[in-house]
Amino acid sequence: MKKWLILIVLIFLVTLQLTWPVFLVFFNTKPDLLLIFAISLVFYFNFKIAFVSAILAGLLKDTFMPSGLAINTVLFGVWSYLTFRLSSQISTENNYVRLAIILLIAVLNNTVLGIQSLHSGNYIPAGIFLRNLIIPSVYTGAVSPLIFKLTKRISA
Amino acid sequence: MFKLSRKTLVNLILAACVVLLISAFSPFFKDSVQKTLKPQLTLIDLFKRECAGIIFYHRNMIELSRLNNEAENLRRRLFDLREIEQENGRLKNLLSFKQRSSFRLVSARVIARSPDSWSSSIIIDKGRHNGIRRGMAVINTQGLVGRVIESAENSSKILLVNDPSQGISSIVQRTRQEGLVSGSLGSNLIMRYLPDNAQIAVGDTIITSELSQVYPKGLLVGKVINIGKEFSGLSRYAVVKPAADFSSVEEVLVIIP
Repeated sequence: MKKWLILIVLIFLVTLQLTWPVFLVFFNTKPDLLLIFAISLVFYFNFKIAFVSAILAGLLKDTFMPSGLAINTVLFGVWSYLTFRLSSQISTENNYVRLAIILLIAVLNNTVLGIQSLHSGNYIPAGIFLRNLIIPSVYTGAVSPLIFKLTKRISA
Repeated sequence: MFKLSRKTLVNLILAACVVLLISAFSPFFKDSVQKTLKPQLTLIDLFKRECAGIIFYHRNMIELSRLNNEAENLRRRLFDLREIEQENGRLKNLLSFKQRSSFRLVSARVIARSPDSWSSSIIIDKGRHNGIRRGMAVINTQGLVGRVIESAENSSKILLVNDPSQGISSIVQRTRQEGLVSGSLGSNLIMRYLPDNAQIAVGDTIITSELSQVYPKGLLVGKVINIGKEFSGLSRYAVVKPAADFSSVEEVLVIIP
């Protein structure tokens, strides 16, 4: 039942991310709801479910990306695994710690995506590169408590 | 039967004269009477209203709530109507553009936007079923929007002009100077590989060139807003403000070759 709920929430979040309201777009950026959900699953579910869901979330995101490279599928899986390893090292019960983890992962995710874009020969001015690195990461971190609540509710 | 005595008749005439006299002079004292009585009347009216307000408090409260609801509904309807009006205007523009244009066009509506900030794409509600194929150019009434990179049965993915992986062979309309326009994920485009002596100036119009394999010749790309020198110092670049506003694009036209 919970697996179905996760799938429904994934579909809901991808729809929300694709149709994110224009008035909530800051500096042409929006939060990565799927990334938050994929990571928050590690905090509330067992690793197997969280890892498979993270891969699925990445796959869903890649479906709507213009490039053919399934980079998000790989990255989401990696972040999910690293979060699991980290949560066995430190306590992730506190919401602030979880928020910090999301912020860190969002920055890392955006850095990898940015470097990959530059590596494929795309020209991105430094200002826009930094904007795309910092603002969506902070925005993702700011939105994460809402997704935590949602994940907590479906795990209960 | 109706015979009046002389005295009664005189009295009646006198009374009529008095009434006439009063009515003739009434405008003169009407204003002053009204002015004198106004404060008292206002006070009484205020008192009456306050009393009525207290007595009919509950009825007024329900009435207020009903009117607030009605106002809210009307406001919402007005908002909807404004939205419909704007949509109507846009569609009218599209229709007239479609009739004026020499290309075969398919109009489509934007249903989704790219999920992250590292790419710039949209998804439209028309696909292979409507004759849309990969590589087709997409425009709107303002200018060039992008090209189709994927087409499913009933939807297509469009790579917008401001995506960094875009490269559009373009020319300056005035001087026919060639260059390559590419996106930078920002609100402006960059026209690169311009020679040092390129004939280009701020305000020049940039259009697609005939060298482009994807885009038909002559599509409006944008206007030059700044010119600079590349870091290497070998060539110049121009910052181009796109004709189409990508953040608010809602309807597009796909060019069917």
